Amino acid sequence: MTARAGLRARLPAGLGLNLGVLALLALLVAAPLMTILMQTLDPERIGAWSDVLASPLSRNLFWLPALNTMALGLGVAAGCVLIGGFLAWLVVMTDMPFRGLVGFLATLPFMIPSFATALAWGTVFRNGRVGGGGGLLEGMGIAVPDALAWGMTPTMIVLIAHYYALGFTVIAAALATVNGDLVEAAQMTGASRRRVLFGIVLPVVMPALIAGGSLCFAGAVSNFAAPALLGLPVRMQTLSTRLFGMIEIGQVERGYVLAILLIGLSAVFLALGNRLLAGRRSFATISGKGGRARRFALGRARGPLTALALLICLVTTILPILLLIAASLAPMASSLFSGWTLHFWIGEADPAFARGQAGIFNNPQLLRALTLTVAIGAVVAFLANVIGILVAVALTRHRLRGISEAVSQLSFLPMLLPGIAFGAAYIALYGAPIGPLPALYGTSVLLALALTAAMLPFAVQTGRATVAQISGDIDEAARLTGAGFFRRIGAITLPLASRGLLASLLLCFVNVISDLAIVVLLYTPTTPLLSVLSYRYASDGFHQFANAVTLVILSISTLAAGLATLLRGRNRPWLSS
Amino acid sequence: MRTAILSACLTLPLAAPGLAQDLDALPPADLLPLAQAEGKVTVYAFTSRIGRVETAFEAAYPGIDMVGFDMSSTEMIARLRSEAGAGIANADVIYVSDAPLVLSELLASGLIAPYVPPRVAAALPDSAKAPLLQQRLSTKVLMYNEESYPDGAPVGNLWDLTREEWSGKVVMVDPLQRGDYLDLMTEIVLRSDEMATAYEAAFGQPIALDEGVADAGRQFITDLFQNDVVLFGSTDDVNVAIGAKGQEAAPIGFTSYSDRRDNEDEGWALQVANEVVPANGIVFPALLALNPEGQNPAAARLAIDFLMGDDSETGGEGFAPFYVAGDWATRNDITPHPDAIPLAEFNGWQIDPQQTAPIRAEVADLILQLQ
Amino acid sequence: MITLSHLGKTFGGAQAVSDISLTVPEGAFLVLLGPSGCGKTTILRMLAGLEHPTAGEIRFGDTAVADASRGYVMEPGSRNAGLVFQSYALWPHMTVAGNVDWPLRVANLGREERRARAAEAMEMLGVAGLAARYPGEISGGQQQRVAIARMIAPRPRVLLFDEPLSNLDATLRVEMRTELMRVHRATGATAVYVTHDQIEAMTMATHVAVMNGGRIEQFDPPERLLSDPASAFVARFIGTPPANLIPVQAGAWFGRMPDPALRGATGHGMVRAEDLALADAPGPDTFAAQPVEVVPMAGRRLVTGLAEGQRVTAVTDLAGPVPSELHFRLPPAPAAIFDPKGNRLS
Repeated sequence: MTARAGLRARLPAGLGLNLGVLALLALLVAAPLMTILMQTLDPERIGAWSDVLASPLSRNLFWLPALNTMALGLGVAAGCVLIGGFLAWLVVMTDMPFRGLVGFLATLPFMIPSFATALAWGTVFRNGRVGGGGGLLEGMGIAVPDALAWGMTPTMIVLIAHYYALGFTVIAAALATVNGDLVEAAQMTGASRRRVLFGIVLPVVMPALIAGGSLCFAGAVSNFAAPALLGLPVRMQTLSTRLFGMIEIGQVERGYVLAILLIGLSAVFLALGNRLLAGRRSFATISGKGGRARRFALGRARGPLTALALLICLVTTILPILLLIAASLAPMASSLFSGWTLHFWIGEADPAFARGQAGIFNNPQLLRALTLTVAIGAVVAFLANVIGILVAVALTRHRLRGISEAVSQLSFLPMLLPGIAFGAAYIALYGAPIGPLPALYGTSVLLALALTAAMLPFAVQTGRATVAQISGDIDEAARLTGAGFFRRIGAITLPLASRGLLASLLLCFVNVISDLAIVVLLYTPTTPLLSVLSYRYASDGFHQFANAVTLVILSISTLAAGLATLLRGRNRPWLSS
Repeated sequence: MRTAILSACLTLPLAAPGLAQDLDALPPADLLPLAQAEGKVTVYAFTSRIGRVETAFEAAYPGIDMVGFDMSSTEMIARLRSEAGAGIANADVIYVSDAPLVLSELLASGLIAPYVPPRVAAALPDSAKAPLLQQRLSTKVLMYNEESYPDGAPVGNLWDLTREEWSGKVVMVDPLQRGDYLDLMTEIVLRSDEMATAYEAAFGQPIALDEGVADAGRQFITDLFQNDVVLFGSTDDVNVAIGAKGQEAAPIGFTSYSDRRDNEDEGWALQVANEVVPANGIVFPALLALNPEGQNPAAARLAIDFLMGDDSETGGEGFAPFYVAGDWATRNDITPHPDAIPLAEFNGWQIDPQQTAPIRAEVADLILQLQ
Repeated sequence: MITLSHLGKTFGGAQAVSDISLTVPEGAFLVLLGPSGCGKTTILRMLAGLEHPTAGEIRFGDTAVADASRGYVMEPGSRNAGLVFQSYALWPHMTVAGNVDWPLRVANLGREERRARAAEAMEMLGVAGLAARYPGEISGGQQQRVAIARMIAPRPRVLLFDEPLSNLDATLRVEMRTELMRVHRATGATAVYVTHDQIEAMTMATHVAVMNGGRIEQFDPPERLLSDPASAFVARFIGTPPANLIPVQAGAWFGRMPDPALRGATGHGMVRAEDLALADAPGPDTFAAQPVEVVPMAGRRLVTGLAEGQRVTAVTDLAGPVPSELHFRLPPAPAAIFDPKGNRLS
């Protein structure tokens, strides 16, 4: 036996892989966060902490926005679990008609940018309190109370309408795996449908409810567009509008401190959620042949519940999309349904119209942005999933005490990092050169790295599920042939995981191309992405163009999502009758 | 990073001055061959209109490729700082707004350098030449809805905005979300004496400051926020709120005078309230500067010269994207836009960025407490 | 008493169960025995009320619980029946005690009553010590006991079991059989038990319905299935080892060994393994076979050989090495004769 082999034998299997993955995550996730933290601890800037936390300013700078943020997060999480769970229950466990349609529509809202949903809300519910005339409802002579037009309520509703899709996806998947016997065993006792639902089904899927709620919470607290559009007019600030504003007016340190606090607060709330989860022991599905769930007969409630489900789906998907389309065609934002023109899409530059802006398809930047967006989306999806698979293999095949926990935590941390804070962290870290490495600022590499890190939670989650499905025996059989680790990954794990992976790739892709929160601080002139192009049109006052670009993003997302649905088709057993 | 800055500081004074001073004095005709040898110039601009300048520049000076990048002033500042830290000098020309922030964050640390093209120097007032070259002036001023108020501006004094009748009917962008609105608030504080006089004109008695309020400007801001001023996230929302037609008693608020040119396109009735004491808002500059370490020093100077406009009445192609009603060229030999009030007759305060910068953060803190 | 009359069930045109009629008395232990896909589980689920018959009627005592002709189906919870699932179907979010208690709560029993009944049921199955554990924390055998405790706690009159022992190892299976019979006796309820394991059927049942292709092949007490199989299917399915079915052609074994006892029949002659002997040398009543396997059993040996493509097994006292060629000696007469379709001729 050589010395090297002897050494290897003494080290635990997979140590190298675990350490490698840990190092990667430290670079992508831990380092940016530490940098941002260190920057605020600089002696010259440490005052920002007391400004934020303990000064006459802190009430408006931190505490009230924090309160709003957490209320928003909890409200959105609860609402999403409720609506997402309700739809998931109807689609997976009942005999509701149009289950396939509802199941597809309910996954769409997440792809519609939240600012579009917010705009849609404004178009309908805006009232004249702050001038500019009212929305559609006021146009029809229906008075809209302030509370419905501005502030916490509409922001929360818009965010629920945006994020419930996440809740639906997670809960529907969990419901589909609920052993039908569990439900029948409960029916045998004579329990009512309601009692079976609340006594058996809901508790069994509680981990999924909490997981879905956590995702929605994380999304809501870091969302910028909705609170900025609907909250500011009544001076409702959230941590994310505050930190964006602070960075915007040049008080960067305070912005960073707010970002760290937002991360910390989110972490605390999510940990509380996990504590709830941990309090319920041993949820592991009990092995044994499970019967297929028998669908609840909805009976007389079938019609009304179907109508309600379709209404929710249509209102949260078709309505924002229709309004976006109208807003990309109407010359005047004040009358969305008159004087439609395709100028904003395909018009030639005309000094007499729209300040001489040519339609988006005549904007040479659009094509560049389109290719770049798709390219970055593809690269990031690929990178994130490669890392995701490595992390998943380390976590499922080679668990090591201590290291595995760190790897697991770090890979889920980006979920807690608001996009804006994440972007700021990457600027802070990679803006300057480190040792012999060049500064990454100004390169699309930086953007790709940040987005890759941001997509890790999705990729790792999917990766773990996929890798766990592949029997360890298969990998061991390959190992006996003498194939090395990467060879086995390439020849055995990847091909077997390909279907799940493909779906995960597309999920990351959709997320990347519609992301603005991270990109808005990180994009560079060499990397004009579609979401930035849309943002830039909007900030120059060209709303129709901005909306048209948004629709382009949405079409790419929907195409990708459709492809993902096709690929995942057979993985949606809840749609079979 | 420290080493990079240090070395930059060391090499710059040694290598650059002689050459730079030579270039600074050259007329465009002499810059052209040098610039053509360089072949390229990179412009960081705060507006997407740089795209049109690009086309015009390349037509005027074939053989020089202008690369225009647009981003917000805040992003530009963060980017220039990071690039300097990394020892990268990508930009040649910096075209930026947010003057107070630019002076304190970029000029003070030597990340940008002033340059005034000799061709136009004589046509510029001193304030437009130092500390940085000002290309044009924009506004954040009080605007009203001329359809809703056909008899003219419904207020004649800024203090009127703090009256009960305007409660919840004054709109602007949150000064803690946008730097130019923070500059407006800061200017009001700087003009406290004028605000005090205006107060007396409005209410017939000298101003009595609340406890803990230092001056009339801060008092005005306090009163304005207590009068339920409505904040938005963007100027477009402000424009719609003020300008949308069909409103019976439209709100009034602060926005850009130049946005009036969109009245027809957007169905607005925006009009400036020019007869307001002590002033209707601020007039602030867009700045042009050099990157002292730029790779294309001659082309950079030629580009700034081009952006200042040619010798025609309206500044020609280089200035055309910025020759709009409601913005003014700093050059006194460019004819004011016929559709707008000339700068001389405009009732806005022209800000002095050097005065604004020191107290800007303090004003932000005041607003923070008021929200 | 459970009565099934002309019970039938189709799933989207496919006939899962047809024309099932049988009656078992109160307190009986009915085993539905058959290979997978024979429809036995479907019948059990119709008894539970989880599936609705498309034909026929089910009565518990005098009460009709399902009647396809009237379209009447009684809710599962109203049938006073309990079901143990193959997967046990323990609710993973409740403790063992919680699982046993929940059906009692649904039945709106008082707190004291519930406590007493749950304790009694858990005692009876020996899982009282696990009361505070979660299903994920106990072994498969323990889960099985909890599932049974949960079923009997509400004291149902009908106990339904869906292959409850199939996930247990051999030792546990034997132990649980005894346990189940004890529980059945203790409760006095009527049990219906689905399995594909004929030993379970033989040891536990008072009545066995052997099923094949959605129909009952034979409905009898276990001993009759052995002594008097109604069809070739039953003869092949029942018995350890199962009986040999040797092809006969026109009254001759293998078509070449005429035997008057076959009475000229064509089809199969049934010869029990214990009726087949090994001969030292070929004779008029022997046939040759290649040895296939030898299984020691209860002090004797089961010798299996391949004769003309047909597996044949005999119970022997053979000692020492197995010869390279076997000679099986036929009994004077077959125990039964079946026609080529498997119907009993005599």
